[in-house]
Amino acid sequence: MNIFVKLGQDIVSLWKEYAGLYLNGVWNTVSLAVLCTAVGCLIGLLCGILNTIPYTKNDNIFKRILLRTIRIVNQIYVEVFRGTPMILQAVVIYYGLPYFTNYAVRFSSVWLCAFVVVSVNTGAYMAESVRGGIISIDPGQTEGAKAIGMTHWQTMTNVILPQALRNILPQIGNNLIINIKDTSVMSIIGFTEFFAIHKSVAGTTYQYFPSAAIEMVGYLSMTLIASFLLRLWEKKMDGASNYELVQVDSLTMTAGTYSHPDKGSPFDEKSKEFHTAKELKRERRERKLQELKYGRPKGDR
Amino acid sequence: MDEMILKINHLSKSFGSHEVLRDIDFTVNKGDVTSIIGASGSGKSTLLRCINLLEIPTSGEILYHGENVAKRGFKAPPYRAKVGMVFQSFNLFNNMTVLENCIAGQVKVLKKSKTEAKEHAMYYLEKVGMAPYINAKPRQISGGQKQRVAIARALAMDPEVLLFDEPTSALDPEMVGEVLAVMQDLAQEGMTMLVVTHEMAFARDVSNHVVYMNDGVICEEGTPADVFGNPQKQETRDFLTRFRNT
Repeated sequence: MNIFVKLGQDIVSLWKEYAGLYLNGVWNTVSLAVLCTAVGCLIGLLCGILNTIPYTKNDNIFKRILLRTIRIVNQIYVEVFRGTPMILQAVVIYYGLPYFTNYAVRFSSVWLCAFVVVSVNTGAYMAESVRGGIISIDPGQTEGAKAIGMTHWQTMTNVILPQALRNILPQIGNNLIINIKDTSVMSIIGFTEFFAIHKSVAGTTYQYFPSAAIEMVGYLSMTLIASFLLRLWEKKMDGASNYELVQVDSLTMTAGTYSHPDKGSPFDEKSKEFHTAKELKRERRERKLQELKYGRPKGDR
Repeated sequence: MDEMILKINHLSKSFGSHEVLRDIDFTVNKGDVTSIIGASGSGKSTLLRCINLLEIPTSGEILYHGENVAKRGFKAPPYRAKVGMVFQSFNLFNNMTVLENCIAGQVKVLKKSKTEAKEHAMYYLEKVGMAPYINAKPRQISGGQKQRVAIARALAMDPEVLLFDEPTSALDPEMVGEVLAVMQDLAQEGMTMLVVTHEMAFARDVSNHVVYMNDGVICEEGTPADVFGNPQKQETRDFLTRFRNT
């Protein structure tokens, strides 16, 4: 038991000394992850739209060549950035640019470099997710939009992407959480995110384990909060599962509001009669049987 | 009445080596209600989809007011806005409400203002009897209601011609009635319509021109009285007897 008391004391003393540093690290990590996920999504959406522009043999040759080139470039981008470790991409870009340009071109800050690397990396993953999201939408939606004269861009932004976005939202959440954790590799180019703080604190105090414990709790809380917020967003996007009838004449009976001859409305005397304990039991049993026979009724998501 | 809107010359379409349409010729005049009948797989829907450029014809011309729309590099979107289409599977936009479905095209394609578009959409929604449901999402209404909204959506674009691709095939008998009633009203108001259908009663009573297709060619065409009352070809007679028997 003593060991836990000691750990607690160590953590408290570390926190007292370095709370500012840790919190600064958290802020750097979160801001970078959120910003890069957002920018990555935009890159992914753009790639998704460009990648799915249809061309037929009725289009002129330049358009066809252009679209082919776009698709090939896109493919290369996705394969390269998805197929190499982000830690290496950071090193290659941060040290490679000055190396090749004889120090003429270099990133003015590590933050900017980290931002570019993580965004572009997320973009590569998102490009594929968006493509999947677009494919998953019924082609009838595209045809419906085309049939009323929408261009590809209008079809995408008004009809397909809003639906595809809902489908890839879990994937965006995935990427945000991955980014929160994986921005830790940006310490390789000297970006002071959360994990880099651990290295410097542990390096000065030799308190490796207590510092790592703080890091664990920190990362876990960040990701938990992120997934909670994403759930909320998903729920909001699904919208209400019911709607209001717009009836000019409020006395008009519409389907579902008629009174059943046997049951009456729920407010009159007869309904009480119906709802005796025995009747309720019977009704419940019947519903169970129906469920067994036809499966549970599916509600709206 | 005799102004020509669409003229189709020697239209052919093949998917790979399979020839779906062969040498189709016919014209659509203003105010015509043309029914295209025929067995499944005879190329009716493909013909309609070619007219709306959802499929690119392999050869032949589609003249819209004298301009060939099937030529290379033709800009399809403005043309499609003038030629409305109603699908078998409705294809309402799932991310929008009924009202938004009818507004989207007007605002984005015709660049109308939102209030103007809404007024126009409400006029047609009222007409098809869907005005109370403007806040519903497509997944919340029945098939017949969806199809009526789809018709209102197409009408709201003020098309010159309305193409119907088996509008009642995905509906149960009760809902077929409500959709056909709307289409009949439109026909009486002088809307130019091109209807692919299996509803022989509609073809006979509402349309003024019937095209019978068999195996990718137009087998017989003429007024409903001619085609239904006095079919010239053996294939047509066979097809019609099969329909009467069922």
